Amino acid sequence: MSLDALDSDVVLTTVGSLLMVAGVVMLRKRWLLRGQGGLALLIAGWVGILAAFIAQSRIWGAELGTTYALGALSLAAYAIISATFERRKSRERAPREAAVDPEERPTNWKRGTGKAMLAIVLAGIAAIGVGVAFAVQAPLPPQDRAVLGGLLVPILWGGGMAWTLCDPRLVRATIILLAVSALGYGIAFLPKALS
Amino acid sequence: MQETAARESRRKRQFLPPQFVRAMLAGHSALGIAFAALIYIVCLTGTLTVFMHELKRWEQPDAPRIDGSLTSEAASKAVESAYRKALALNAAHDVFIMGPGDTQERLLVNFHDHDSGVEGHWLGDAAGNLVVEEHAPWAEFITNLHIRLHLPKTWGLFLVGLTGVALLSSLISGLLSHPRLFKDAFALRWGGSRLLQEADLHNRLGVWGLPFHVVVSTTGALLGLSTLIVGVLALAAYDGDSEKAFATILGPLPTADETAAPIPDIAAMIRSVRAEHSDAEFASVFIQHIGKAGQVVNLGMKTPGHLAMSNAYYFDGTGKPLGDGGLETGSIGQQILGALQPLHFGWFGGLLVKIVYGVLGLALTIVTHSGVTIWLARRRERGRPAPHWEKVWTALAWSQPLAFAAAALAIFAASEAAAVPAYLATTIGCMLASQAAPDTRTAGRVIRLLAGVAVLAVVAMHGHAWAGRITDPAALWVSGTMTLVAVVLLASALRPWLSRTAA
Repeated sequence: MSLDALDSDVVLTTVGSLLMVAGVVMLRKRWLLRGQGGLALLIAGWVGILAAFIAQSRIWGAELGTTYALGALSLAAYAIISATFERRKSRERAPREAAVDPEERPTNWKRGTGKAMLAIVLAGIAAIGVGVAFAVQAPLPPQDRAVLGGLLVPILWGGGMAWTLCDPRLVRATIILLAVSALGYGIAFLPKALS
Repeated sequence: MQETAARESRRKRQFLPPQFVRAMLAGHSALGIAFAALIYIVCLTGTLTVFMHELKRWEQPDAPRIDGSLTSEAASKAVESAYRKALALNAAHDVFIMGPGDTQERLLVNFHDHDSGVEGHWLGDAAGNLVVEEHAPWAEFITNLHIRLHLPKTWGLFLVGLTGVALLSSLISGLLSHPRLFKDAFALRWGGSRLLQEADLHNRLGVWGLPFHVVVSTTGALLGLSTLIVGVLALAAYDGDSEKAFATILGPLPTADETAAPIPDIAAMIRSVRAEHSDAEFASVFIQHIGKAGQVVNLGMKTPGHLAMSNAYYFDGTGKPLGDGGLETGSIGQQILGALQPLHFGWFGGLLVKIVYGVLGLALTIVTHSGVTIWLARRRERGRPAPHWEKVWTALAWSQPLAFAAAALAIFAASEAAAVPAYLATTIGCMLASQAAPDTRTAGRVIRLLAGVAVLAVVAMHGHAWAGRITDPAALWVSGTMTLVAVVLLASALRPWLSRTAA
C-alpha cells in the first residue's frame, strides 16, 4: 500500500504523534546526562515537540490542533515516565534526593482562621472586584470584557490564595487585599454612582 | 575554578530561594489539606462526568441512537413533537433539543416550565419523533455530585467553583514550590522511601499534565462561580438585573409578549444558516417562551475545526435573524465562551478525546490523593505519625468507587432517591469503620475488596435487568470497563494475601 493511498489526515496525525514522542524521548535522554552536555538533544527535543504542534495544527486547525498536541505531550511524557521508572528496595535516599520540607510556622486557631478568611474570603472579594472592574470598564465590546473579566476572577483568586497562604505576615496581606478590593470596586461602581 | 563553581552554585540556589520555596510549600500543604477531600471527589466525579453520555446510554441501552447529524426536517419535527408533549404536560415554556454529534449519539429533547415546575426529558429517533422518556438516574447522580455535590444549586455551584479556585491555587503554589522541576523532570522512583515515591508520582503527574490541570480547574471555577460574578457585575452595570447581565454574555432574551404565536420554523432557520455556512451541521436548538409572540430561538450549528460545541444563531419567532454568538469565529471573549464547556468536560473531538480526558482526569485525582499521602508520610518520617488520619484518608479515597457502586445498587434495588443516602452512608461508614482496622494498608485492602465485589454486582444486576434487550454497544463497553476496574480493585486487594498463601 503506497503512502498516497493513505488518508493524508491520518498520516499527518501519526507523524505529529511520533514527533511528539520522539521529542519527549530526546528530552529524557538529555535529562539522563544530568547537564553534562547534550545540548543538541535538548534542542532537537524541543524542535520535535514544536514540529508536532505544527503538524497537529496543520491538520486540525490551530484551535483543535494545539489542544490535541497539548494532550499528546502530557500522555507521551506519562507513557515514557511509566515505561522507564526506577524500582527501589532501599529506604535510603541520597542527600540530593532529600525533599524540601515546608516552613515550620507557629500557628493557632486564631491565626488559622485569619489565614482562611484572607485566602478564601478577602482574596475572593478582591478578585471579583478586579474582574468586575475589568468587565465594566475595559475598552472592549461588552461580551468580551464580561467574559475576560469573569476569567480573571478564578485566576486572580487562585493567585491571591497562594500568595496569602505563603506570606507569613497577615497584616501586610490584609492591607494589600483591602486596597485592591477598594480599587476594584471603586472602578466598577463609582462611575455609575457619580453619574 | 572553585570560585567559579561556587558562583554557579549560588546563582542556581537563587533561582527559587529556599526560604521562598519552604514558605510556598507551607501554603501549598495548608491549602491541599483544607480542600483535599472536596478536590478529590470533584476530580474523580469529573473524570466520570466526561463519559456522562456513555453512562446514560449504559443505563438505557435499548434507546435509539443516531448515526450522523440530524436533518433539518427531523430537527423541525422534534421541536413540534416536544411542543405537543410539553403542552399536554403543562410545561410548554422553554424547549431544548440536542442532536447527535461528536459528543453524543442521541436526539435529546428537554422541556420545562418555570411556573409549574414541570419538566420532561425524552429521547427521539432520526425522524424527530419522541420515542422514550430519558431515565439515567445513576449518570445524573454522578454528574450532580460533580457539578453541585448534591447541595442546593446556588450553594453547590459556588462550593464546587471555590474548589476549582483552590485547585488552581494549589497548582500555582505547587509549581512555585518545586525547585527541582527540571532536575527531576523524568524521575519516578518506585519503592523504598514512601515519601520519595509519592512525591515523584505527585510531581511527575502534576507537572506533565499541567496544561490540562490548569484548563479544567480554571474553566470549572469560572462555570461554578459564574452566578456570583454575574450577580456582582449586574449590581455594577445593569441595575442589579442579573438576567440582563447574562443576556450580554449569552445572547438575546425573549420579550414578555405572551400572545399565542406559531412555533418557529426551525428547518427554514437551518437552511438560512447553511446558505452562508454550507458545512454547518445542526447541533442544538433552544427556544424560550415557545409558542408565544415574544419567543426567541437560539440555534446551535457546528462547523468543523472548532472547540465550541456549536455557534449560536439567534432568531425571533418569525424567523428574523437577531445575530449570532460568534462562538466559533467571533471575538476572543466569544470564542472563550464557546470553548469553556467543551474544554472543561472534553466534549469535542469524539471518544478519543474523552479517553484522553479520562486518563488526565485520573492523573489529577492521583495528584490530589498523593498530595495528602505525602503530608502524612512526612509526618510519619518526622516521628509524628497521624494513624487515624492516615486511615480516614485511605478510607475516603477507596470508598468512592464503593460508594458509587452502592448508589447504583440502591437505584436498582429501591429508587433514585436512595442514591445519595447510599453514597453518604458508604463513604461515612468506611471512614468510621477504617478506625477499627489494624493498619492503613488493611483498611485500604478491605475497602478495595468490597468495591471490586460491589462493582461486579452492579455489572451483574445491569446485565440481568437488560438481558436480551441491549441494542446499544456503548452498554457493553461500559460494563466491560467496569468489570476491568473491579478486577483491578480485587487484584490490588487480594495480591498480598495471595502471595503470602503462595509462599
